[in-house]
Amino acid sequence: MSFLVLDSLKKSFGQTQVVKDFNMSIDKGEFISFLGPSGCGKTTILRMIAGFETPSDGTITINGKNQSGLKTSQRNIGMVFQAYALFPNMNVFDNVAFGLKVAGQPKAEIEARVKEMLKLIHLEHLADRYPYQMSGGQQQRVALARALAPKPQVLLLDEPLSALDAKIRVSLREEIRQIQRQLGITTVFVTHDQEEALSISDRIVVMNAGRADQIGTPSDIYNRPSTRFVASFVGTLNIIDAAVADPAANTIRIGENVITLREPIGALKSGEKVSVALRPEAGSLAESAKGDTALTGTVVSSHFLGSVVRTKFGVGGNKISFDMFNAPDKVLPQPGETVTLRFAASDLLLIKD
Amino acid sequence: MKMTKFFAWLAIAIGLIYFFVPLLGTFEFSLRMRRGEYSFDAYGSVFSDVQFQQTFGFSILMALFTIAFGMLLVVPTAYWVRLRLPQMRPVVEFVTLMPLVIPAIVIVFGYLRLYNSSSYIPFTGSTFGTNVLLVMSYITLSLPYMYRSVDTAMRTIDVRTLTEAAEILGAKWPTILFRCIFPNVMSGVLSGAFITFAIVMGEFTMAALLNRPAFGPYLQLVGANKAYEPSALAVIAFAMTWLSMGLIQLVSRLSKMAPTRRA
Repeated sequence: MSFLVLDSLKKSFGQTQVVKDFNMSIDKGEFISFLGPSGCGKTTILRMIAGFETPSDGTITINGKNQSGLKTSQRNIGMVFQAYALFPNMNVFDNVAFGLKVAGQPKAEIEARVKEMLKLIHLEHLADRYPYQMSGGQQQRVALARALAPKPQVLLLDEPLSALDAKIRVSLREEIRQIQRQLGITTVFVTHDQEEALSISDRIVVMNAGRADQIGTPSDIYNRPSTRFVASFVGTLNIIDAAVADPAANTIRIGENVITLREPIGALKSGEKVSVALRPEAGSLAESAKGDTALTGTVVSSHFLGSVVRTKFGVGGNKISFDMFNAPDKVLPQPGETVTLRFAASDLLLIKD
Repeated sequence: MKMTKFFAWLAIAIGLIYFFVPLLGTFEFSLRMRRGEYSFDAYGSVFSDVQFQQTFGFSILMALFTIAFGMLLVVPTAYWVRLRLPQMRPVVEFVTLMPLVIPAIVIVFGYLRLYNSSSYIPFTGSTFGTNVLLVMSYITLSLPYMYRSVDTAMRTIDVRTLTEAAEILGAKWPTILFRCIFPNVMSGVLSGAFITFAIVMGEFTMAALLNRPAFGPYLQLVGANKAYEPSALAVIAFAMTWLSMGLIQLVSRLSKMAPTRRA
């Protein structure tokens, strides 16, 4: 049975509908990431789970209990904010102990739990420090310990890594995931950073204009995007305009190239326009266009990016990028040169708009 | 460049002379009570005056009540405007500025008309009621300074996120306000408190027209009847105001020493 259920959730601010009929079931101990651009409604959903916003319609159920009518303080949810939100007048110990003190727990229990939490985040030695005496990464770890101390049933993470520098961000996200696994706590993580979402989630919800465009594992989201938005938002992807060549043979035409798709074209007629997607890393250069999964075109540009070389070539009005691993003796394709890119038919995805 | 520097120093010198010569003159005059030599006799006379002790004590008491009740009004108001009613900010700012625009004498006549002994709320019908009215009038007078100092302190912390962080940890409104917000705007509260103290200690109009034995009317009374004591009182009043100002500086400096408190 699902632990956290969001059923037909809607939220409007005045005339603007920010969340449109959102449905999702999250299992106990699952780590779910809400990924999407600014204003897509991901934070609003998180705030509705927390009780900071009231849904215009729909229900939120945690562990079988409907949360409607429950105040934020009654929901037993932990939350980590982007801006740390540690109480500046309290030291680390008091910050972590705050939720326990509010709950009226005995002093000895509070002390033991705070110590346990500080050990979990490896900051036992900073118990007497005030927030302004710590780095951003340390403050966010304290915020995590504070959120976990009262043993919440759900942990909400609202872009907790956005304010940190790149190196700390990577180490902290791994630490968050490791702690989440250790405690087995159901976690909802909001981010606009696809790398973050792909690296630590059990499942990702890609949000677009108040709806979930796709819900799936990181691998599904990256390798099999179901909409043009997901395809363009997650990773770098070539969206290629093509036309149906022969529906019976399941072939499409890109410029002069005819390619057989692995996915069924469906009810489309010959000559009708379709969009297909191809990851830049999916193909490799070939001597000639053998077989049906190859595209031949003219090189537009070639860029050295360190570990990879990204080349753009033109085919039937499309500009398609592909990546090659760098090697010291590699000769870069030159603009104007004709190249052939080969790839597996399964890498070419039919995109729904 | 050098000429600019010269004129800058000249302006400072003129300013210092303008402010300090009358003060030094007053101080010097206050020391002349004993004929032919300087002494602190005038100060001794002031401090030993029972009326001075009574009025000074009364004004201090009124100032403390003004600060306490004023802050109880201002801190939750500033907090609520920041958190839930940001659209009301211009209205609240306008209301808090009103006492600077409306003269104290107009306000006190309004009070006397509204709260006289034959009105529905007869504050002036008893000594206690008049004292309550006096405190309320002092709160009104100090509102522009109190509100601004608290609001400025609130600007330095992320009130909304701190409130939400406390709320999700199970805290209720009194806990949020008094344990999470109030201690973090203490510098503003103290600045407001000191400036209120200075205002109340020197205020004349309200206390005189409400016929209360405050320090302001006492200053006026002594000024009209004695020679050296008014100068001594003026110096004492200045010293009190400066002490308050110094404490405001100290508090704001101490709060600045704690680097970025923005949560």
